[in-house]
Amino acid sequence: MKYHSQSFFYDDPWSIVSLAYFLRYPNPYASHIISCDVISRNVTPSGTLQTTRLILKRGSLPRWAPKGIISRAESWVLEESEVDPLGKTLRCTTKNLEYTKVMKMEESVFIRQTEDGQTAQTTEARVLSGFGWGLTKRIESHGLNKFKAHVQRSREGVSLILSLLRESRLQPM
Amino acid sequence: MAESLLSECTPLKKEYDSCFNAWFEGYLEPAVSASSSPEKYSEYSQRKAEEFQQKCGKIWEGYRACVQKALKEKGLDTMLQQSREENPLSRPPPLPPSGSSSS
Repeated sequence: MKYHSQSFFYDDPWSIVSLAYFLRYPNPYASHIISCDVISRNVTPSGTLQTTRLILKRGSLPRWAPKGIISRAESWVLEESEVDPLGKTLRCTTKNLEYTKVMKMEESVFIRQTEDGQTAQTTEARVLSGFGWGLTKRIESHGLNKFKAHVQRSREGVSLILSLLRESRLQPM
Repeated sequence: MAESLLSECTPLKKEYDSCFNAWFEGYLEPAVSASSSPEKYSEYSQRKAEEFQQKCGKIWEGYRACVQKALKEKGLDTMLQQSREENPLSRPPPLPPSGSSSS
């Protein structure tokens, strides 16, 4: 199993970052997203909002991947999130639904308001391959490297949506 | 707003997304503060849930029905069910002890 975690800050308040996070598809940094649907959504008795989304991604396979294991270059991903507007936190976990024997990848994002009114985001990834045949380590490293590149692009995508939100809020209604 | 998994659901999805986003913006900035009593907050969030139902409930039902049908047609409902049984999504697993990257 490989684990990676990284954190960064946004200057914007939590509510706007959370809105941007929910609105992040589509954006030019996420052209691999083919579809995104809400499967279930509810407000819990404690007032938090729980959402499950089913996302179809276009993925590219590494060149060394054994032929025939993964037959197509699209894959389904399940995203579950919980927003707490009072505690000012957002948790979001994403995992792949297919080819989980080859590679199980789980990403957790935690967005919270800091004491000085900034917003902090921590992103964690867990990559686990049960493939064997001497490829386990290679598959896990590949997954982790892809994740690191993905965090950067995802951050740029959210920042772009944030700047669009800021602009639209400056416009008179 | 991204496409739906079935193109015929996309117009319903876009309508639902717009309705949700308008509600969500207000939901993220609650009119009550963290210092208010649990009763007051619970009452407030119930009111927000009702407001959503009133504004977007019908649209949500239409969109949901379309997606559920598409999931069945594509055989995705079984995949979702299996995933739920194998690994029910609840809280993320606890953090490993330390370090930013490890194996």
